[in-house]
Amino acid sequence: MTIERIKRYVTPGRLSLLIAGLFLTWFIIAFLVYPNLNLLKSVFWANGSFSIEPFQKLLHSKRALKGLLNSFILAVSMVITVNIVGIFLVFVTDYFDIKGSKLLRIGYYTTLVYSGIVLVSGYKFLYGEQGFITKFLLLLFPSFPADWFHGYWAVLFVMTFACTSNHVLFLSNAIRKIDYQTVEAARNMGASPFYILRRVVLPVLQPSLFAITILLFLTGLGATSAPLIVGGTEFQTITPLILAFSKSPTSRDMASVLAIILGVATLILLTFLRKAEKKGNFISVSKVKSEIVKQKITNKWLNTLVHIVAYLLFIIYTVPVLLTVIFSFTDAYSISTSILSWEHFTLSNYKLLFTNADAYQPYLISIVYAAGAAVIVVALSLLVSRILHKYSNLFTTALEYAMLIPWLLPSTLIALGLILTYDSPKWILANQVLTGSMWILMIAYVIVLIPFTLRMLKAAFFSIDASLEDAGRSLGASAFYTFRRVLLPIVLPSTLAVLALNFNSQLADYDLTVFLYHPLFKPLGIAIQNATSGQTSSDTRALGLVYSVMLMVISSVALYLVYGRKSKA
Amino acid sequence: MIEFRDIEIKYNDFIAVKNLNLKIAEGEFFTMLGPSGCGKTTTLRSLVGFVSPTHGSIHVNGKDITQLPVEKRDISMVFQSYALFPTLNVYENIAFGLKVKKMPKEQIEAEVAEIAQKVDLSQAQLRKKVSELSGGQQQRVAIARALVLKPSILVLDEPLSNLDASLRVQLRNELKSLQKKFGITTIYVTHDQEEALTLSDRIAVFNHGAVEQVGTPHEIYSQSATEFVCNFIGDINTLEHSIIEKVNATSGKSFDPAKAAYLRTEKIYTSLPEGNAEAFTTLTARVIDAEYYGLYTKYTFEIGGALLKKVEIEDGRSRCIIGNEIDIYIRPDDILQY
Repeated sequence: MTIERIKRYVTPGRLSLLIAGLFLTWFIIAFLVYPNLNLLKSVFWANGSFSIEPFQKLLHSKRALKGLLNSFILAVSMVITVNIVGIFLVFVTDYFDIKGSKLLRIGYYTTLVYSGIVLVSGYKFLYGEQGFITKFLLLLFPSFPADWFHGYWAVLFVMTFACTSNHVLFLSNAIRKIDYQTVEAARNMGASPFYILRRVVLPVLQPSLFAITILLFLTGLGATSAPLIVGGTEFQTITPLILAFSKSPTSRDMASVLAIILGVATLILLTFLRKAEKKGNFISVSKVKSEIVKQKITNKWLNTLVHIVAYLLFIIYTVPVLLTVIFSFTDAYSISTSILSWEHFTLSNYKLLFTNADAYQPYLISIVYAAGAAVIVVALSLLVSRILHKYSNLFTTALEYAMLIPWLLPSTLIALGLILTYDSPKWILANQVLTGSMWILMIAYVIVLIPFTLRMLKAAFFSIDASLEDAGRSLGASAFYTFRRVLLPIVLPSTLAVLALNFNSQLADYDLTVFLYHPLFKPLGIAIQNATSGQTSSDTRALGLVYSVMLMVISSVALYLVYGRKSKA
Repeated sequence: MIEFRDIEIKYNDFIAVKNLNLKIAEGEFFTMLGPSGCGKTTTLRSLVGFVSPTHGSIHVNGKDITQLPVEKRDISMVFQSYALFPTLNVYENIAFGLKVKKMPKEQIEAEVAEIAQKVDLSQAQLRKKVSELSGGQQQRVAIARALVLKPSILVLDEPLSNLDASLRVQLRNELKSLQKKFGITTIYVTHDQEEALTLSDRIAVFNHGAVEQVGTPHEIYSQSATEFVCNFIGDINTLEHSIIEKVNATSGKSFDPAKAAYLRTEKIYTSLPEGNAEAFTTLTARVIDAEYYGLYTKYTFEIGGALLKKVEIEDGRSRCIIGNEIDIYIRPDDILQY
């Protein structure tokens, strides 16, 4: 009788749910909670009792304080410059009637594929001491300092043009969603174009702009590759300092303190953002929406000025991309001298990439890491999304919040937490040491990808008509059969899209990789960064350019697969 | 036969269905009718097995199915949204349940072809994506998918609510003829009284989680058992205090003026019906509005500040002209009071 009751209670479904629950609990504790708590402990309870000594140490370190100040200055200035450029780009492509706006859009959208370490190294390649543009400027002005491109202004310049992706993606979308009848109504009531822009259009964009601004501020605070590559010694910011401090056992506590400060700033700003989001966006109440019609700038002089600035920005955006592609087809002489001539064009750099093991090794390593992390995180998020979709209780609420922890923490803090926690055997990982191993990077990639992946897949699951699952059951199918045959095929397109975006985002990651990579297995981001160093040979720099071009190709393909085909459908 | 015995369904403290006792005969077209949130869909879902009653039991042909899993109940459901699987084509949607039963492929093909023919779906339509079909065709796929399993009971949860008015009428008729063709016990949930009256053998009117009345459409309409049913079904006038007093004075009836009294709109006459004139009370009314619907006209009369509505079949001989004062006649026996 008792066995019968156990059999009835312990069904295969319940058993697999229990196993999934145990696995997820272990994963969350081992990788999302424990390392971060351990980081806090290593700072505040380093010697077994509460102490704020590392903070005092930080306050006495001029270098650290300067770094903090620099990060803050960069974040504030970026918010201003990126918003000015970003809003201008979006108005030029989507609101005002500008000649050649389709071409301009292509130029402005290059940051979607030409970003991160690829962009920073590309700018260094062009504007650096040996750079094409620097040499061009030297030709015009022989007394021009060749090492002009470093420090605060260089970092700000790079970050300004690197960080407009959110504007072109989200703000332009918000503009396209404006109900044109509201613009017509304002005009009908006698409002001038500028008044309409200020009182009708901009207020609708305000929530998007606010969100973008917060994210920009966070990006500025946590900037890694730009200050590291073009910041020079005089403009060090928090993350490069954390990286430098974390390498020495005597200054690791300082690295942890800086990471915690970054984490707290992130938490505060994201809480602020959440609160603002809760107040809600402006929802159009139109019964029949009409599409936005591009506005003509009636003032002739202003129109000319806007056109000139628009095309100037187009040049700033596209020249680095074009020259990276062009120089990737030239030999060492052209790359080192920045002189272009027909006889120096060659395919040998590409040949090297596809034939030389040393050359293609970073590619292979990054592909394995990015693909592995993308698949693992998608599998994990599918499991969690399914649980969240099917059950709603205290455990699922806790599960969801726990899985979103990495969203609240900068990747630097996550990296440090892992390094400091798993540098010695811990029972929770069966006494395996992760620090210094190949696995730590893969795990970190998975961790940072969880929030985005989970949010997307959860949204996909929750958008499914609930009666589909009921229909499957009422037609006699088991819960698993219904999941496999009905639900999974519906979320598959979103799953594949997220898979492609995840793969793309981690393929040339630098900010996290630089903390955790195995010295014998250097991923692409590191290889490209190495290629920008002044001491490297022209062959290495050539290979860096080829890596960048190939990354742009892969990113373009991934984005086309995700967005291009969808928009055609 | 289906029997709900003392069913109660609770969600935390909220009682969705309370003390429900209902019997549905084999082959019957039975409708659960009521406003949103009245418990009709919850009752239906408890029959299918998506909701477990907190108390009571459900029996089909004498067998207690209360604890039986959904997939073992032999009840097919047509959902409000049709719940057609978007990643499967029409054929695969209809064949879904047969594949679950692990039926041989040839037999599945034969069964699908047979049901498709019965519900008027062509071979070409079977190969289409469900999104390529019209609303009416999608509904037929949903019904075919349910019927192909040859269930003992078919349940339909507001299957016409997403359609436009003309298609709704057309599909209502198709649904009725299909039910007659298959002779299957059918339980239909709707909030639309017209659908309920035209389709059903019997109707249960739900309100606040309880059944107010069970009866044939005619009984429900003409002998509404409760104030709620009387108000919910058909067009009705609520009689003002002054009219009730006049009716009482002229007819010798004793309606309670403190309570609401009701009169159906078609029970107001603008000319005295022949014979039995003393059975009517005459009221003088001013015509203040006329809404023309083609087949009929809906008039609004004003009697000493109180408004009455009347529906009159349009025969071109109406004497109701807006602004005119006319005599109208009501029969006290037609007044409903609870």
